[in-house]
Amino acid sequence: MVVALVLRVVHAALTELQRLDSRVRRELEQMPEGMGYAVETGYRAPTLYVRWSGGQLQRCAAAPPAPCCALRLKNLPLAFLFCTGQMGVAQAYARHAFTISGDVADVMKLARLINLVEAYLFPPLITRRIMTDIPPLQVNPLRVYGGIAFGFLCNRYRLSR
Amino acid sequence: MNAYFEFRNAVKLLCGELALERIPSELAALGSERPLLLSDAVLSKIGTLRLVQQAMESEGCPPAQVYTDIPVDSSLEVVNRIAALYRELDCDALVAVGGGSVIDTAKGVRLVLSQDTDDILALSGVENLPLGAHVPFIVVPTTAGTGSECTGVAVIRNDANGVKMEFLSPFVEPDAAVIDPRMTLGLPPKATASTGMDALCHAIEALTCLQANPLSSAYAMEAIRLIVRHLPEATRRGSNREARFAMALASTMAGIAFSNSMVGAVHAIGHALGGVCHVPHAVAMTILLPHVMAYNAERCAADYARLLPLLVGEERAAATLPAERALAAVEAVRALSARLSELCGLPLSLHAAGVENRLDFPRVAAVAVNDGALIVNPRAAGEEDVLAILNAAF
Ligand SMILES: [Fe+2]
Repeated sequence: MVVALVLRVVHAALTELQRLDSRVRRELEQMPEGMGYAVETGYRAPTLYVRWSGGQLQRCAAAPPAPCCALRLKNLPLAFLFCTGQMGVAQAYARHAFTISGDVADVMKLARLINLVEAYLFPPLITRRIMTDIPPLQVNPLRVYGGIAFGFLCNRYRLSR
Repeated sequence: MNAYFEFRNAVKLLCGELALERIPSELAALGSERPLLLSDAVLSKIGTLRLVQQAMESEGCPPAQVYTDIPVDSSLEVVNRIAALYRELDCDALVAVGGGSVIDTAKGVRLVLSQDTDDILALSGVENLPLGAHVPFIVVPTTAGTGSECTGVAVIRNDANGVKMEFLSPFVEPDAAVIDPRMTLGLPPKATASTGMDALCHAIEALTCLQANPLSSAYAMEAIRLIVRHLPEATRRGSNREARFAMALASTMAGIAFSNSMVGAVHAIGHALGGVCHVPHAVAMTILLPHVMAYNAERCAADYARLLPLLVGEERAAATLPAERALAAVEAVRALSARLSELCGLPLSLHAAGVENRLDFPRVAAVAVNDGALIVNPRAAGEEDVLAILNAAF
């Protein structure tokens, strides 16, 4: 439940930060058209499938076709730690918390995006524990939260097609 | 310490005198009668490969075929080609004799064969593959540097974009590795020094990166001790068997260490330099190591201080103020490479290594930040940071 919610919020935050943060925008806009990411969290557990298409990060119902990079957390407890700010991407990697299918370079891009999202969504008290270096914020996190709340109200992050 | 860690080394090590002569019995135990022997043209020419062939033939186990067309900078395509040849010849084992490129190529071939596919590109990832079919696999390293005989990773160039791809799977590890001092006796001084520095780099990065754990660190510390003690002598007098054997062991131990704790920014930038500017891996490692250590020093003060006695001796380390020990360790590594450079002309700057100008540096930085090795570096590094390191190393 928490994991499913956080995954939805991550997608929403990336959509908002595409507007608000130049690093997120650059990272996304450098992706090849049709690039997909799958984040899976365990057996019969929540998933997030996204695809970069038409200048937007679209949320999909199923794993996107190739090119797609899949990151699978090995079990739900690990996904919970990961989604609740108790374990950062680098820590998750160091603890063998997930497997990767696809080009490792694509995961590095995703890792930078997740770090940026976490920097905005979590207070410094949390980010200091899970990141070696916290990326500086370009806008007030409240604007990101506000954008996300408004986006959910307008049903902006619905599944594409 | 990490709240959770994993450690694995499933490679049987055959170390020391007449180790090569153990290959036939090892192959027999693995159920092989038609091994495919993989190596490169240089090793074939200088006679190193011949020693392995003789050891196999004398025990009635000649290779079904000897393939020596593996280039210095091997690629996914070479891997696919060799896998096809293996099937065509109906071979039943792989024996790889060489340095990093040959071993990584062979690991790729092993992966393709065991996963029963034609194209290695489809297999890239981290811990993503099931065990697959068992393909008996023996590695004979001919440099004391890569440690690749004991690592669960293969780094292979993708010709499509010139970028090196990483394949992390425990199933690329060989069944056995043969550490025979005869294999490195003929290694020229410069290659001895640079590959030795690559091993030092594995150990230092393994000790300091975010995935370090007590077991990997134990291997790393002992590797560093052996390298500092024996690398200058192995460079100066290549015929010294004791120094050669110590270096071979150190390289293997450093390999075990970093296979379990990963490497960091030195390797991320080095892979990119190899892909974009064609700087040989070990040369890039030698040049970058002190610069990246200086960059990481503020986060690794305790670990670097722990290194100091190994690098300069107990007495000098004790005489250094605690607050200065980390930077003293960086300087000691710099001094070691300078000493090696005096002995054999090892390049200490990118310029000296043949990089003519800085025009490619932005591209190197862009590739480096996407290298998997960067994820566990103790200090985050963006393109600007990598550029600064490259400029300092130029
Ligand atoms: Fe290396």
